[in-house]
Amino acid sequence: MTDFAIRAENLSKRFWLRTERRTRLKERFIRGGEPKGREFWALRDATFDIERGTTFGLLGQNGSGKSTTLKVLAGIYRPNGGRLELNGRVSALLELGAGFHPELTGRENVRLNGAILGLSKRQIDNAMDGIVDFAALGEFIDSPVKHYSTGMYVRLGFAVAVSLDPEILMVDEVIAVGDEEFQRKCFDHLAMLRKRGTTIVLVTHSLGLIQEMCDQAAWLEHGVIRRLGAAREVVEAYLGDVNDREMHGRGVRPVADAAASLSGRLGSGEIRVVSLEYLDGDGNPSPVLLAGAPCAIRIHYAASRRVEEAIFGIGFVGRTGVFVAAPSSGRLGPWTVAAGRGYVDLEVPELLLQPATYRVSATIRDRGHMFDVVDQAYDLHVRGGGEREEGLMRMPVIWRPPVSVTSGDTAGGSAEEVAGAQ
Amino acid sequence: MTQKLAGMATRSTSARPSRLIWGYRSLIWNFAQRDLKSRFKGTALGWAWSLMLPLATLLTYSLVFSVVFRANTPDFGNGREGFFPVWFLAGLIPWNFFFISVTGAMPSLLGSGSLLQKVYFPSYTPILGAVTAILVQSTIELGILVAILLVLGNVALSWLLLPLWALLYVSFVAAIAVILAILNVLFRDVAHLVNVSLQLLFFLTPIIYPITLVPDNSHGIPMRAIVGFNPLAAYIGCLRGLVYDLRPPSLLTWLQMAGWTAGAIVLAAFVYRTRGLDIAEEL
Repeated sequence: MTDFAIRAENLSKRFWLRTERRTRLKERFIRGGEPKGREFWALRDATFDIERGTTFGLLGQNGSGKSTTLKVLAGIYRPNGGRLELNGRVSALLELGAGFHPELTGRENVRLNGAILGLSKRQIDNAMDGIVDFAALGEFIDSPVKHYSTGMYVRLGFAVAVSLDPEILMVDEVIAVGDEEFQRKCFDHLAMLRKRGTTIVLVTHSLGLIQEMCDQAAWLEHGVIRRLGAAREVVEAYLGDVNDREMHGRGVRPVADAAASLSGRLGSGEIRVVSLEYLDGDGNPSPVLLAGAPCAIRIHYAASRRVEEAIFGIGFVGRTGVFVAAPSSGRLGPWTVAAGRGYVDLEVPELLLQPATYRVSATIRDRGHMFDVVDQAYDLHVRGGGEREEGLMRMPVIWRPPVSVTSGDTAGGSAEEVAGAQ
Repeated sequence: MTQKLAGMATRSTSARPSRLIWGYRSLIWNFAQRDLKSRFKGTALGWAWSLMLPLATLLTYSLVFSVVFRANTPDFGNGREGFFPVWFLAGLIPWNFFFISVTGAMPSLLGSGSLLQKVYFPSYTPILGAVTAILVQSTIELGILVAILLVLGNVALSWLLLPLWALLYVSFVAAIAVILAILNVLFRDVAHLVNVSLQLLFFLTPIIYPITLVPDNSHGIPMRAIVGFNPLAAYIGCLRGLVYDLRPPSLLTWLQMAGWTAGAIVLAAFVYRTRGLDIAEEL
């Protein structure tokens, strides 16, 4: 038997959808009876084990039951059916600083929050220094939290939830707040907790985050688990489904011209990016591109006059904001573009991006002058084929098999040599 | 620390720790501290304000009843001539404890709503926290009353029964507060209903008048029996008997109070178990 932290068997949660909330006594008396309404299963027969020390991701569209699942796991909702077993103390992080009272000082709020999370006074006192340190509030820890900035508030909330040494941590989208540096700190801390053996359940819309952080994942749809397994496979299956649905539902469309509204765009505008279109290896429009396969990105433009020197550029930005690549047509020398509409293709013989979602920017400029910049306005979903590697890009490499330099009977000596050489 | 929660398959197990009220005393006390600390923060007089309301009530009624109406006040237990403000205070303190607890418990649960949806804790803990905070204030008020009575030399062995009375009364009030606060989440009318009823109850309870003043029979209605049946009349009458009249109430009154307390606790447990466990979905 594996060592599990959470075991759910046929876990179900039902809500009653009431057309009107009959919470007034008068109505109850007049119309009588229990107002039941239509039943709605937010979670139905979910069965999964979460092994101790692993990180488990829950993904799915809005309203798929992710948050309900998390609330059932955290004990906030009682399930209507099924079994749930937990091994360890749960700390839920469904909203940073949810329990803070504005009039109380940071320190007093830490005590209160700790008590809510079920800790004794001694446990809280022991954790206090670590919390004050992590939140980096300095003297503000003894001021009422109503004087805190949003960042300070959030820092303290996170510090409390993670510093109280949870055995099982439930995290719901909370890391999306705070500045870049703090987010980094949170990720690092979660990774540290993970290493220490804390079981983490993570609900997020960020597929990248799930791929990066989670071992296992469950994809929920209408309260039912569609797929359960290794995080990467689940994310890919989910992405594939989203793409298929997009294809069937809306037909093939050029990607996101909606995002390219003209307001607030940089550049002088003689020539503008109208839309981007992703083409697969056969030149057919596709909402998703395959890693390792040939593809093309088509930049549709509209020029209000003839442009003598135009340089087109595409930028790929990773989830964490890392600039991955920015191919530019500049090295070919500028092109002359006639007035009117048209397009430019960026052909990619082999897409070296790893499966994930990227933000894509498009620019049209000439030397030292910007015509148009569409900054990270487009999503690019890259789907996996074959084995995935760490990192954002697959480097084209050739591995050579091991070459033996000395013979086997001097193995001990050579191992020492190797060790010594390092 | 490992907790394993397995149970029946139907109305199933959940991720909630199986602790009783005692296991949540630290959380209840934290909620109480939150209430106490936040209430008067930023005010110059701070804690003193908590005494202003009873003082104002005391002055108003003393003025009206002992000066305008010249009501007869029962004599002290030690034979001293009765003094309305002291006699009234012995009834006002337990009444205020009840009144503020019941009216304060409802918003305290509603106010914890967003929190209850973020992390699990039993829904009675913020209610009991609010009651505890009010208990702290009432205890201070009672301390002042006791000090006055000591100065007046109105002390007897009946005071020794005070802790027993307090146990029964505090449990009763806490149970009523839990019942009303939970029902108020389900039916928001409860708060309004309670506010109106409390007005009425104040005058139906022998607080500003002794029960002996109530006619046995008025227009064919057995008034004194009705007023006497009110549980608050028993508790408040008992406190007055113990500290002012220095006559412990009869065994029957004690049994009556014990019955009210037990009944309220059973009802509170029932309301909590049927309605309070899923309150996070209703808030």
